[in-house]
Amino acid sequence: MEAEAIKLLAAGLAMGLGAIGPGIGIGILGYGAVQAVARNPEARGPIFTNMLFSVALAEAVAIYALVVAIVLVFVA
Amino acid sequence: MAKKKGCMGCSFPVAIVVVLAILGVGVISLLAGALGNALLGDVGLPSWLLAQSPEVHLPTDVIFHFLGFPITNTIITAWITIIVLLTIFYFGTRSMKLIPSRFQTAVEFVIDYLLTFCEDIAGKKYGRKFFVIVATIFLFVITNSWIGLVPGVGTILVEGADGHMVHLFRPVNTDINLPLALAIISFIFVEYWGIKTLRLGYFKKFLNTHRFFQGFKELFSGKIKQAMGSLFNGAIDIFIGLLEALSEVVRIVSFTFRLFGNMTGGEILLLMMVFLAPFLLAIPFYGLELLVGFIQALIFAGLTLVFATIAITPSHSDE
Repeated sequence: MEAEAIKLLAAGLAMGLGAIGPGIGIGILGYGAVQAVARNPEARGPIFTNMLFSVALAEAVAIYALVVAIVLVFVA
Repeated sequence: MAKKKGCMGCSFPVAIVVVLAILGVGVISLLAGALGNALLGDVGLPSWLLAQSPEVHLPTDVIFHFLGFPITNTIITAWITIIVLLTIFYFGTRSMKLIPSRFQTAVEFVIDYLLTFCEDIAGKKYGRKFFVIVATIFLFVITNSWIGLVPGVGTILVEGADGHMVHLFRPVNTDINLPLALAIISFIFVEYWGIKTLRLGYFKKFLNTHRFFQGFKELFSGKIKQAMGSLFNGAIDIFIGLLEALSEVVRIVSFTFRLFGNMTGGEILLLMMVFLAPFLLAIPFYGLELLVGFIQALIFAGLTLVFATIAITPSHSDE
Protein backbone atom coordinates (compact mmCIF):
# COMPACT_ATOMS: atom_id res chain seq x y z
CA MET A 1 0.00 0.00 0.00
CA GLU A 2 1.16 3.51 -0.66
CA ALA A 3 2.37 5.76 2.14
CA GLU A 4 -0.55 8.21 1.92
CA ALA A 5 -3.13 5.49 2.44
CA ILE A 6 -1.28 4.01 5.40
CA LYS A 7 -0.95 7.44 7.03
CA LEU A 8 -4.68 8.13 6.81
CA LEU A 9 -5.49 4.64 8.05
CA ALA A 10 -3.09 5.07 10.96
CA ALA A 11 -4.64 8.42 11.87
CA GLY A 12 -8.09 6.89 11.95
CA LEU A 13 -6.93 3.95 14.04
CA ALA A 14 -5.04 6.20 16.45
CA MET A 15 -8.01 8.41 17.21
CA GLY A 16 -10.55 5.59 17.23
CA LEU A 17 -8.70 3.20 19.51
CA GLY A 18 -7.38 6.04 21.63
CA ALA A 19 -10.88 7.22 22.48
CA ILE A 20 -12.12 3.91 23.91
CA GLY A 21 -10.29 4.16 27.25
CA PRO A 22 -11.10 7.79 28.08
CA GLY A 23 -14.72 7.27 27.04
CA ILE A 24 -15.14 4.44 29.51
CA GLY A 25 -13.18 6.34 32.16
CA ILE A 26 -15.32 9.46 31.88
CA GLY A 27 -18.45 7.33 32.03
CA ILE A 28 -17.27 5.77 35.29
CA LEU A 29 -16.49 9.23 36.65
CA GLY A 30 -19.97 10.43 35.81
CA TYR A 31 -21.48 7.37 37.47
CA GLY A 32 -19.58 8.04 40.68
CA ALA A 33 -20.44 11.73 40.67
CA VAL A 34 -24.15 11.19 40.08
CA GLN A 35 -24.27 8.56 42.82
CA ALA A 36 -22.51 10.95 45.22
CA VAL A 37 -24.99 13.73 44.45
CA ALA A 38 -27.86 11.30 44.92
CA ARG A 39 -26.59 10.44 48.39
CA ASN A 40 -25.93 14.01 49.44
CA PRO A 41 -27.69 16.60 47.29
CA GLU A 42 -26.29 19.49 49.32
CA ALA A 43 -22.70 18.78 48.29
CA ARG A 44 -23.53 19.27 44.63
CA GLY A 45 -21.11 22.16 44.08
CA PRO A 46 -17.84 20.60 45.29
CA ILE A 47 -18.76 17.23 43.78
CA PHE A 48 -19.34 18.83 40.40
CA THR A 49 -16.06 20.77 40.58
CA ASN A 50 -14.07 17.66 41.47
CA MET A 51 -15.78 15.67 38.74
CA LEU A 52 -14.96 18.33 36.15
CA PHE A 53 -11.33 18.26 37.25
CA SER A 54 -11.09 14.48 36.92
CA VAL A 55 -12.92 14.51 33.56
CA ALA A 56 -10.35 16.92 32.13
CA LEU A 57 -7.51 14.69 33.33
CA ALA A 58 -9.09 11.60 31.76
CA GLU A 59 -9.84 13.50 28.57
CA ALA A 60 -6.19 14.50 28.25
CA VAL A 61 -5.36 10.93 27.21
CA ALA A 62 -7.85 11.13 24.35
CA ILE A 63 -6.29 14.46 23.40
CA TYR A 64 -2.86 12.83 23.17
CA ALA A 65 -4.36 10.39 20.64
CA LEU A 66 -5.88 13.33 18.77
CA VAL A 67 -2.50 15.04 18.57
CA VAL A 68 -0.96 11.88 17.13
CA ALA A 69 -3.74 11.69 14.53
CA ILE A 70 -3.33 15.38 13.59
CA VAL A 71 0.43 14.99 13.25
CA LEU A 72 -0.08 11.92 11.03
CA VAL A 73 -2.49 13.68 8.71
CA PHE A 74 -1.02 17.16 8.43
CA VAL A 75 2.66 16.96 9.25
CA ALA A 76 3.99 13.51 8.44
CA MET B 1 -51.68 46.61 31.28
CA ALA B 2 -52.07 44.36 28.27
CA LYS B 3 -50.69 40.88 28.86
CA LYS B 4 -48.09 39.86 26.31
CA LYS B 5 -49.06 36.59 24.70
CA GLY B 6 -46.91 34.48 22.50
CA CYS B 7 -43.56 32.92 23.19
CA MET B 8 -40.86 34.39 25.38
CA GLY B 9 -42.44 37.78 25.78
CA CYS B 10 -42.62 38.73 22.10
CA SER B 11 -45.92 38.98 20.34
CA PHE B 12 -46.84 36.29 17.83
CA PRO B 13 -45.86 38.10 14.59
CA VAL B 14 -42.38 38.86 15.94
CA ALA B 15 -41.92 35.21 16.93
CA ILE B 16 -42.97 34.04 13.48
CA VAL B 17 -40.53 36.46 11.82
CA VAL B 18 -37.70 35.22 14.01
CA VAL B 19 -38.45 31.57 13.22
CA LEU B 20 -38.62 32.34 9.50
CA ALA B 21 -35.31 34.21 9.67
CA ILE B 22 -33.62 31.27 11.40
CA LEU B 23 -35.05 28.87 8.81
CA GLY B 24 -33.85 31.11 5.99
CA VAL B 25 -30.33 31.30 7.41
CA GLY B 26 -30.41 27.53 7.86
CA VAL B 27 -31.38 26.93 4.25
CA ILE B 28 -28.68 29.31 2.97
CA SER B 29 -26.09 27.65 5.17
CA LEU B 30 -27.08 24.21 3.95
CA LEU B 31 -26.80 25.35 0.31
CA ALA B 32 -23.51 27.17 0.83
CA GLY B 33 -21.67 24.45 2.68
CA ALA B 34 -20.27 21.12 1.70
CA LEU B 35 -23.35 19.19 2.77
CA GLY B 36 -25.49 21.07 0.30
CA ASN B 37 -22.90 20.68 -2.42
CA ALA B 38 -22.90 16.93 -1.98
CA LEU B 39 -26.70 16.66 -1.89
CA LEU B 40 -27.86 19.22 -4.45
CA GLY B 41 -24.87 20.11 -6.58
CA ASP B 42 -23.86 23.64 -7.51
CA VAL B 43 -26.88 25.91 -6.98
CA GLY B 44 -25.18 29.08 -8.10
CA LEU B 45 -24.79 31.13 -4.93
CA PRO B 46 -22.43 34.13 -5.05
CA SER B 47 -18.86 33.17 -4.31
CA TRP B 48 -18.55 35.23 -1.14
CA LEU B 49 -21.22 33.06 0.45
CA LEU B 50 -19.65 29.70 -0.24
CA ALA B 51 -17.51 27.99 2.40
CA GLN B 52 -13.92 27.23 1.54
CA SER B 53 -12.38 23.92 2.39
CA PRO B 54 -10.34 24.27 5.56
CA GLU B 55 -6.60 24.05 5.41
CA VAL B 56 -4.99 23.42 8.73
CA HIS B 57 -1.49 24.63 9.13
CA LEU B 58 0.27 23.54 12.29
CA PRO B 59 3.49 25.60 12.23
CA THR B 60 2.98 29.33 12.66
CA ASP B 61 3.55 31.81 9.86
CA VAL B 62 5.95 34.72 10.10
CA ILE B 63 4.40 38.08 9.22
CA PHE B 64 7.39 40.36 9.34
CA HIS B 65 10.79 40.69 10.96
CA PHE B 66 11.46 43.21 13.68
CA LEU B 67 15.08 43.88 14.65
CA GLY B 68 16.04 40.39 13.56
CA PHE B 69 13.23 38.57 15.43
CA PRO B 70 10.57 36.86 13.34
CA ILE B 71 7.17 38.10 14.47
CA THR B 72 4.54 35.41 13.95
CA ASN B 73 0.79 35.91 13.96
CA THR B 74 0.52 34.24 17.33
CA ILE B 75 2.87 36.80 18.89
CA ILE B 76 0.61 39.59 17.62
CA THR B 77 -2.46 37.90 19.10
CA ALA B 78 -0.66 37.26 22.40
CA TRP B 79 0.12 40.97 22.66
CA ILE B 80 -3.55 41.74 22.04
CA THR B 81 -4.38 39.40 24.93
CA ILE B 82 -1.92 41.20 27.20
CA ILE B 83 -3.32 44.60 26.24
CA VAL B 84 -6.89 43.42 26.88
CA LEU B 85 -6.01 42.02 30.31
CA LEU B 86 -4.06 45.13 31.31
CA THR B 87 -6.91 47.41 30.19
CA ILE B 88 -9.54 45.46 32.08
CA PHE B 89 -7.62 45.37 35.32
CA TYR B 90 -6.39 48.95 35.05
CA PHE B 91 -9.88 50.34 34.62
CA GLY B 92 -11.24 47.99 37.24
CA THR B 93 -8.91 49.20 39.95
CA ARG B 94 -8.41 52.83 38.95
CA SER B 95 -10.68 54.61 41.43
CA MET B 96 -11.31 51.93 44.01
CA LYS B 97 -14.12 52.67 46.41
CA LEU B 98 -15.22 50.73 49.48
CA ILE B 99 -18.66 50.27 47.92
CA PRO B 100 -17.57 49.24 44.45
CA SER B 101 -19.00 50.24 41.11
CA ARG B 102 -20.30 47.54 38.81
CA PHE B 103 -17.12 47.06 36.82
CA GLN B 104 -15.03 46.89 39.98
CA THR B 105 -17.43 44.26 41.33
CA ALA B 106 -16.95 42.12 38.25
CA VAL B 107 -13.16 42.32 38.52
CA GLU B 108 -13.34 41.61 42.26
CA PHE B 109 -15.52 38.56 41.54
CA VAL B 110 -12.84 37.08 39.29
CA ILE B 111 -10.04 37.73 41.78
CA ASP B 112 -12.09 36.42 44.69
CA TYR B 113 -13.00 33.25 42.82
CA LEU B 114 -9.33 32.55 42.03
CA LEU B 115 -8.18 33.35 45.58
CA THR B 116 -10.80 31.02 47.08
CA PHE B 117 -9.73 28.34 44.62
CA CYS B 118 -6.08 28.69 45.66
CA GLU B 119 -6.80 28.78 49.37
CA ASP B 120 -9.13 25.79 49.23
CA ILE B 121 -6.40 23.60 47.81
CA ALA B 122 -3.21 25.01 49.31
CA GLY B 123 -4.31 26.33 52.69
CA LYS B 124 -4.44 29.94 53.78
CA LYS B 125 -0.74 30.82 54.03
CA TYR B 126 0.54 29.19 50.87
CA GLY B 127 -2.65 29.85 48.95
CA ARG B 128 -1.92 33.56 49.02
CA LYS B 129 1.66 32.97 47.89
CA PHE B 130 0.76 30.61 45.04
CA PHE B 131 -2.06 32.88 43.92
CA VAL B 132 0.26 35.10 41.88
CA ILE B 133 1.43 32.56 39.32
CA VAL B 134 -1.70 30.39 39.37
CA ALA B 135 -4.05 33.32 38.72
CA THR B 136 -1.78 34.69 35.99
CA ILE B 137 -1.68 31.34 34.21
CA PHE B 138 -5.46 31.00 34.47
CA LEU B 139 -6.24 34.49 33.20
CA PHE B 140 -3.71 34.30 30.37
CA VAL B 141 -4.91 30.92 29.10
CA ILE B 142 -8.60 31.76 29.32
CA THR B 143 -8.21 35.13 27.60
CA ASN B 144 -6.11 33.50 24.87
CA SER B 145 -8.70 30.84 24.15
CA TRP B 146 -11.66 33.24 24.23
CA ILE B 147 -9.98 35.80 21.99
CA GLY B 148 -9.47 32.94 19.55
CA LEU B 149 -13.25 32.85 19.10
CA VAL B 150 -13.69 36.52 18.20
CA PRO B 151 -14.61 36.95 14.50
CA GLY B 152 -11.56 38.16 12.63
CA VAL B 153 -9.09 35.86 14.33
CA GLY B 154 -8.28 33.25 11.73
CA THR B 155 -10.01 35.00 8.84
CA ILE B 156 -8.18 38.27 8.12
CA LEU B 157 -5.52 37.53 5.52
CA VAL B 158 -2.34 39.48 5.04
CA GLU B 159 0.83 39.01 3.02
CA GLY B 160 3.38 37.04 4.99
CA ALA B 161 7.14 37.15 5.04
CA ASP B 162 7.57 34.49 2.37
CA GLY B 163 4.97 35.83 -0.02
CA HIS B 164 1.93 33.66 0.73
CA MET B 165 -1.29 35.02 2.15
CA VAL B 166 -1.42 34.10 5.81
CA HIS B 167 -3.78 34.84 8.66
CA LEU B 168 -3.06 38.01 10.58
CA PHE B 169 -4.28 36.72 13.93
CA ARG B 170 -4.25 33.18 15.22
CA PRO B 171 -5.43 31.71 18.52
CA VAL B 172 -2.31 31.70 20.67
CA ASN B 173 -2.88 28.35 22.34
CA THR B 174 -2.70 26.57 18.99
CA ASP B 175 0.96 27.48 18.65
CA ILE B 176 2.80 24.75 20.51
CA ASN B 177 5.39 27.19 21.83
CA LEU B 178 3.02 28.88 24.25
CA PRO B 179 1.79 25.77 26.10
CA LEU B 180 5.43 24.61 26.24
CA ALA B 181 6.52 27.92 27.75
CA LEU B 182 3.71 27.87 30.31
CA ALA B 183 4.51 24.25 31.21
CA ILE B 184 8.19 25.07 31.78
CA ILE B 185 7.25 28.08 33.91
CA SER B 186 4.90 25.91 35.96
CA PHE B 187 7.61 23.25 36.42
CA ILE B 188 10.19 25.83 37.58
CA PHE B 189 7.59 27.35 39.91
CA VAL B 190 6.82 23.98 41.55
CA GLU B 191 10.50 23.08 41.97
CA TYR B 192 11.31 26.54 43.34
CA TRP B 193 8.64 26.36 46.03
CA GLY B 194 9.61 22.77 46.91
CA ILE B 195 13.27 23.65 47.38
CA LYS B 196 12.49 26.90 49.16
CA THR B 197 10.23 25.25 51.73
CA LEU B 198 11.98 21.97 52.35
CA ARG B 199 15.57 23.04 51.53
CA LEU B 200 17.56 20.05 50.31
CA GLY B 201 15.20 17.58 51.99
CA TYR B 202 13.03 18.05 48.93
CA PHE B 203 15.27 15.68 46.99
CA LYS B 204 14.76 12.92 49.53
CA LYS B 205 11.55 12.21 47.68
CA PHE B 206 13.54 11.24 44.60
CA LEU B 207 16.64 9.66 46.12
CA ASN B 208 14.90 7.44 48.60
CA THR B 209 17.99 5.59 49.81
CA HIS B 210 17.14 5.65 53.52
CA ARG B 211 15.77 2.17 53.78
CA PHE B 212 18.48 0.69 51.57
CA PHE B 213 21.26 1.91 53.83
CA GLN B 214 19.28 0.85 56.86
CA GLY B 215 19.35 -2.64 55.37
CA PHE B 216 23.14 -2.52 55.20
CA LYS B 217 23.34 -1.41 58.83
CA GLU B 218 21.18 -4.32 59.90
CA LEU B 219 23.29 -6.69 57.82
CA PHE B 220 26.44 -5.64 59.68
CA SER B 221 24.73 -5.78 63.06
CA GLY B 222 23.64 -9.33 62.54
CA LYS B 223 19.90 -9.29 61.89
CA ILE B 224 20.01 -11.11 58.56
CA LYS B 225 16.31 -11.73 57.88
CA GLN B 226 15.35 -8.15 58.71
CA ALA B 227 18.24 -6.93 56.59
CA MET B 228 17.03 -8.87 53.56
CA GLY B 229 13.57 -7.33 53.90
CA SER B 230 14.99 -3.85 54.27
CA LEU B 231 17.37 -4.27 51.35
CA PHE B 232 14.58 -5.49 49.09
CA ASN B 233 12.19 -2.71 50.10
CA GLY B 234 15.02 -0.21 49.86
CA ALA B 235 15.75 -1.22 46.28
CA ILE B 236 12.07 -0.82 45.41
CA ASP B 237 12.11 2.60 47.11
CA ILE B 238 15.04 3.76 45.02
CA PHE B 239 13.27 2.61 41.86
CA ILE B 240 10.08 4.42 42.88
CA GLY B 241 12.09 7.56 43.61
CA LEU B 242 13.58 7.54 40.12
CA LEU B 243 10.12 7.01 38.62
CA GLU B 244 8.84 10.03 40.58
CA ALA B 245 11.68 12.16 39.24
CA LEU B 246 10.85 11.01 35.70
CA SER B 247 7.17 11.79 36.18
CA GLU B 248 8.07 15.31 37.34
CA VAL B 249 9.81 15.95 34.05
CA VAL B 250 7.16 14.23 31.92
CA ARG B 251 4.65 16.62 33.50
CA ILE B 252 5.99 19.31 31.17
CA VAL B 253 5.11 17.20 28.14
CA SER B 254 1.66 16.31 29.43
CA PHE B 255 0.77 19.94 30.27
CA THR B 256 1.89 21.08 26.84
CA PHE B 257 -0.02 18.49 24.88
CA ARG B 258 -3.16 18.74 26.98
CA LEU B 259 -3.55 22.46 26.29
CA PHE B 260 -2.26 22.37 22.72
CA GLY B 261 -4.36 19.33 21.75
CA ASN B 262 -7.57 20.71 23.21
CA MET B 263 -7.19 24.08 21.51
CA THR B 264 -6.06 22.75 18.12
CA GLY B 265 -8.78 20.10 18.16
CA GLY B 266 -11.35 22.79 18.91
CA GLU B 267 -10.09 25.01 16.11
CA ILE B 268 -10.17 22.16 13.57
CA LEU B 269 -13.65 21.22 14.77
CA LEU B 270 -14.91 24.78 14.22
CA LEU B 271 -13.29 24.92 10.76
CA MET B 272 -14.95 21.64 9.78
CA MET B 273 -18.34 22.76 11.05
CA VAL B 274 -18.08 26.05 9.19
CA PHE B 275 -17.11 24.13 6.07
CA LEU B 276 -20.07 21.76 6.34
CA ALA B 277 -22.87 24.28 6.93
CA PRO B 278 -21.49 27.76 7.50
CA PHE B 279 -23.88 29.81 9.56
CA LEU B 280 -25.92 27.49 11.69
CA LEU B 281 -23.93 24.38 12.50
CA ALA B 282 -21.06 26.22 14.15
CA ILE B 283 -23.19 27.88 16.88
CA PRO B 284 -23.39 24.96 19.36
CA PHE B 285 -19.69 24.30 18.82
CA TYR B 286 -18.88 27.91 19.70
CA GLY B 287 -20.58 27.28 23.01
CA LEU B 288 -18.52 24.12 23.43
CA GLU B 289 -15.34 26.05 22.68
CA LEU B 290 -16.16 28.66 25.32
CA LEU B 291 -16.64 25.91 27.88
CA VAL B 292 -13.50 24.03 26.85
CA GLY B 293 -11.40 27.19 27.04
CA PHE B 294 -12.56 27.84 30.59
CA ILE B 295 -12.06 24.24 31.69
CA GLN B 296 -8.58 23.95 30.21
CA ALA B 297 -7.48 27.16 31.91
CA LEU B 298 -8.86 25.84 35.20
CA ILE B 299 -7.08 22.51 34.70
CA PHE B 300 -3.71 24.08 33.90
CA ALA B 301 -3.81 26.47 36.85
CA GLY B 302 -5.35 23.90 39.17
CA LEU B 303 -2.82 21.18 38.39
CA THR B 304 0.04 23.64 38.90
CA LEU B 305 -1.45 24.49 42.28
CA VAL B 306 -1.93 20.82 43.24
CA PHE B 307 1.63 19.88 42.30
CA ALA B 308 3.01 22.85 44.20
CA THR B 309 0.99 21.83 47.25
CA ILE B 310 2.31 18.29 47.00
CA ALA B 311 5.86 19.62 46.64
CA ILE B 312 5.78 21.66 49.82
CA THR B 313 4.40 18.97 52.11
CA PRO B 314 7.31 17.10 53.74
CA SER B 315 7.40 13.48 52.72
CA HIS B 316 7.11 11.29 55.81
CA SER B 317 9.12 8.08 55.94
CA ASP B 318 6.69 5.19 56.02
CA GLU B 319 7.82 2.77 58.70
